[in-house]
Amino acid sequence: MAADSEPESEVFEITDFTTASEWERFISKIEEVLNDWKLIGISSGKPLEKGVYTTGAWEEKSDEISFADFRFSVTHHYLVQEPGDRDGREEGVEDALPLPMQDLLCMNNDFPPRAHCLVRWYGLREFVVIAPAANNDAVLSESKCNLLLSSVSIALGNTGCQVPLFVQIHQKWRRMYVGECQGPGVRTDFEMVHLRKAPSQYTHLSGLLDVFKSKIGCPLTPLPPVSMAIRLTYVLQDWQQYFWPQQPPDIDALVGGEVGGLEFGKLPFGACEDPISELHLATTWPHLTEGIIVDNDVYSDLDPIQAPQWSVRVRKADNPQCLLGDFLNEFFKLCHRKESTDEILGRSAFEEDGKEVADISHALSKLTEPAPVPIHKLSVTNMVHSAKKKIRKHRGVDESPLNNEVLNTILLNLFSQFKSAPSDSLTYKLALCLCMINFYHGGVKGVAHLWQEFVLEMRYRWENNYLIPGLANGPPDLRCCLLHQKLQMLNCCIERKKARDEGKRGNVSDRSPSGSSGDTGRGADHSGDNLKEADKEVGKSWESWSDSEEEFFECLSDAEDLKGNGQENGKKGGAKEGSRDPVSLKPEGRLHPHGKLTLLHPGEPLYIPITQEPAPMTEDLLEEQSEVLAKLGTSAEGAHLRARMQSACLLSDMESFKAANPGCCLEDFVRWYSPRDYIEEEVVDEKGNVVIKGELSARMKIPSNMWVEAWETAKPVPARRQKRLFDDTREAEKVLHYLAVQKPADLARHLLPCVIHAAVLKVKEEEVLEDISSVKKIIKQIISHSSKVLRFPNPEDKKLEEIIAQIMSVEAIIARARSLKAKFGVEKCENEEEKEDLQRCPCPYATWCILYAHLSNHLFTLTESSDEVTNFVPHFPLIFLSCIELNLSISAMPPLDEELRRSGSAEERRFTAGSVLDFPPPTGREIVLRTTVPSPAPYSKALPQRMYSVLTKEDFRLAGAFSADTTFF
Amino acid sequence: MDEDVLTTLKILIIGESGVGKSSLLLRFTDDTFDPELAATIGVDFKVKTISVDGNKAKLAIWDTAGQERFRTLTPSYYRGAQGVILVYDVTRRDTFVKLDNWLNELETYCTRNDIVKMLVGNKIDKENREVDRNEGLKFARKHSMLFIEASAKTCDGVQCAFEELVEKIIQTPGLWESESQNKGVKLSNREEGHGGGACGGYCSML
Ligand SMILES: Nc1nc2c(ncn2[C@@H]2O[C@H](COP(=O)(O)OP(=O)(O)O)[C@@H](O)[C@H]2O)c(=O)[nH]1
Ligand SMILES: [Mg+2]
Repeated sequence: MAADSEPESEVFEITDFTTASEWERFISKIEEVLNDWKLIGISSGKPLEKGVYTTGAWEEKSDEISFADFRFSVTHHYLVQEPGDRDGREEGVEDALPLPMQDLLCMNNDFPPRAHCLVRWYGLREFVVIAPAANNDAVLSESKCNLLLSSVSIALGNTGCQVPLFVQIHQKWRRMYVGECQGPGVRTDFEMVHLRKAPSQYTHLSGLLDVFKSKIGCPLTPLPPVSMAIRLTYVLQDWQQYFWPQQPPDIDALVGGEVGGLEFGKLPFGACEDPISELHLATTWPHLTEGIIVDNDVYSDLDPIQAPQWSVRVRKADNPQCLLGDFLNEFFKLCHRKESTDEILGRSAFEEDGKEVADISHALSKLTEPAPVPIHKLSVTNMVHSAKKKIRKHRGVDESPLNNEVLNTILLNLFSQFKSAPSDSLTYKLALCLCMINFYHGGVKGVAHLWQEFVLEMRYRWENNYLIPGLANGPPDLRCCLLHQKLQMLNCCIERKKARDEGKRGNVSDRSPSGSSGDTGRGADHSGDNLKEADKEVGKSWESWSDSEEEFFECLSDAEDLKGNGQENGKKGGAKEGSRDPVSLKPEGRLHPHGKLTLLHPGEPLYIPITQEPAPMTEDLLEEQSEVLAKLGTSAEGAHLRARMQSACLLSDMESFKAANPGCCLEDFVRWYSPRDYIEEEVVDEKGNVVIKGELSARMKIPSNMWVEAWETAKPVPARRQKRLFDDTREAEKVLHYLAVQKPADLARHLLPCVIHAAVLKVKEEEVLEDISSVKKIIKQIISHSSKVLRFPNPEDKKLEEIIAQIMSVEAIIARARSLKAKFGVEKCENEEEKEDLQRCPCPYATWCILYAHLSNHLFTLTESSDEVTNFVPHFPLIFLSCIELNLSISAMPPLDEELRRSGSAEERRFTAGSVLDFPPPTGREIVLRTTVPSPAPYSKALPQRMYSVLTKEDFRLAGAFSADTTFF
Repeated sequence: MDEDVLTTLKILIIGESGVGKSSLLLRFTDDTFDPELAATIGVDFKVKTISVDGNKAKLAIWDTAGQERFRTLTPSYYRGAQGVILVYDVTRRDTFVKLDNWLNELETYCTRNDIVKMLVGNKIDKENREVDRNEGLKFARKHSMLFIEASAKTCDGVQCAFEELVEKIIQTPGLWESESQNKGVKLSNREEGHGGGACGGYCSML
């Protein structure tokens, strides 16, 4: 189709009647679709509001039809309008112009930042496009194009549909459309020219005006004035390297084996490539009347500096590669590896007993082999140590944003929400370390290797009584991940064992029980294994419920102690006798007096005894235990057995109590242990004095209830000579075995919460630097989402992926903000000197920076506003918001100000900015010409005429919409 | 019988020792009051199937001892519970004062924050009341709990307490169904992902 081709002739020659019937079927299918979509009838609607094409919602509906066996897709694109607007399709005024024709002239939505090209070219609020369906060839031949256009024309005529109907011709990428819109007695033809190179007369306004006028062919003289909207767009896309702020991570430094290179507790962050692909500056003359401006082949008034409207648009790179996201993804992928550590590393390599000498040497050589990754140097303890050193070094100086108080309060307990581990714990560091190893040091193999080393290290520590660093004291923290609990459990065992071994070695007389109370154990009754056995051993005696192993909490051979009361009271019923014979007993294992309480009978102070501490339990053990307890059922016997199984600690406490309080009775014990079961009442005695009389509660007095029973069985034995109720040796072995059998994938699943936790901290830390409020919101969402997902065992992969994707999107947003900040470099313009530096800067961006700095009172907007964009130049006293706000600001602009800006300042600008202010030729030149003239005859109805043109380096396009009166011509 | 059970709910009864936790549970499961009920050692366990709004739910109820020394093992029972009944004795103010501690512990160890909590003031049949009904109400409101006063002895409010709790659990989305229910959080930043074609007819510039 040539630019000057005549409007399509209505005549269509049919030579082949078989195709005719296909053709007729095709037309009726078009009509059917138009009917289905209720596009028939007079279209009506409100005049378009300013900016509504950007702020409003666009929707589309699609269907498929075919012409013979060639399939077309039919798509209805429309701006969603308020319900009332649409109902009016039938009621419109008969001779009003169809809405689409009115839209051609509307100037409220020129150059929308993002819209369908037909919207941009023709200003339409709705239209239907018929295009070859996916995998169907483009419509290339002229006859086929004509055939299609005729079909459209007939369908519109038959149905009375007023929505413009387009057909897409030629290759898709050319975006060539022809179309038609019909109304009563009027028709608009949409035609298009698309050329690789613009003929020289089309490169300026005056040439285009000539084309437009000749296309209209208006018989009137003088011609009604043509209104013009012009936009020159400048695109910057090949950034200079030094304007990209993100230093790629120095991988060599990380691989170099120098552990310090791995910043501990820190994940990498930022985009590896520029997340901003383009920046567009659009300078716009929204409304010019013909004659005001001269723009021809020798001279132009179109100076971008003088354009009344500026806007900047940021184009993001799609999914820029970001470091944190990569780390997370790679780590997450580990979860799906099936291999065991042995399979990955080769079974023989780390076989402990090493039956064959050859194997050992092989293993050794394997270890010492100059592998690309010196993993052996990366022993975790080393790492933790050096990390600690580093942290110590940095403390005080390091005013990282994480010290921010508010942030701390939010994030302090993140580990319990995420079920990860505290950020200063070994587990957390191990997670980050494995994450690094996985990314930089040989992936799953490196992970397996490090893990194996780690497990060996744990065993070494157990065997040699070295506590594991970086774990909070005390029993496993159930708020943390299971792996963390297991390590804490192992530490409890090590602590126990260490205390015992030191006790054996150390000075016999110097053994105060308080010195080792921390690592005492209690309650074999808490251990799942014991409970399991209990299933079969229903009728056992009291003693048999405790650990069968004859190991005492503290190994003692103090003969005096044993003589003191242990033996005497060892006989059956000894406790009762003992309480009647307090003189012969020497108290042992006292912790401290219990307030001012005294024993009921001897009147001695009542002492709280040293007791065996609760057995440390990990959540899986606890789960096992509760399962066993539940299995006992709800019968009376079951309940009894359940109570009995849990009474070992009660018994142990009673024994400790008896040892600490010679001559005590059950009432004394109850006053300490379950005070509400000792009921005191004021009574008046025989002499008339008010005295307090106490007695056991009714339920404690029930004959042979388990408390009484236990009390009678309990011998006065201090905790340190009781059988140990927690078997640290067995528990340690269980943990070590558990650790040893974890595959890399298991490990990754265990530690993923820690890695996500770290990633959130990292993202938060980076966000604080940029202060982007939308990111704040997303981070909040990520935290609440993650805590929902991670708190439960085995979260679904899909949900984990969602979390990772959220984190990645935040990373990209922050990276973009940084990129923008660096590019605009406005902060640098604060003093004159720097400004000059900037002017000397060879970067083409300098021009813009200076422009921004100097033209800050220019009407200046950012389309496609978002925080990341609006935040980067906080000291601009301008409105950086969306188009709507731009419009507000235009109307709010006082005329005086306008005046001021226009007069006098231009010279100054040129002067200050110097030669750098010379604009390059625009990347894009868009011009919209509009008028209303009668066509085709002078006495025809005056109808909207419009021509849009865009000129870029690569192509030139004219998109015309020419209306004609079909009644009076 | 078990087939039409909608779900199994884990419920926990906590509170100071002697406030009547075991008695409430016994009243609920066996509809009896046993003045000879022994003090609980460790934790105890009972099961009952009830029907609320035509839905059958199997309740696995864990009763805890309440004494300081037994507390070390209770945290594990908080895990995965959908409902918790926090009991105090209206005739003993000290048991009411301790409620804060219990809530703290619950917060620390409970795996879900949408767990349904019910406050029960027990032993209203007794005369020497020390805690006013309004105080209970106020506390419950402050901590977003259900509230009822009851007596395990006279049966007042017991059935109702458990039923209310279960009803509330069933009404709380995501609490009892498999977790697949709760959809991922939608991000607020509108990502312009228009499917199809190189630009699907959409051009962002020129
Ligand atoms: N009068 C009265 N006594 C009760 C009530 N509930 C429990 N008790 C008594 O309070 C004491 C403790 O009850 P129990 O259920 O063992 O309390 P728990 O330690 O919380 O389990 C027992 O002696 C019960 O008989 C009640 O509603 N009214
Ligand atoms: Mg009880």
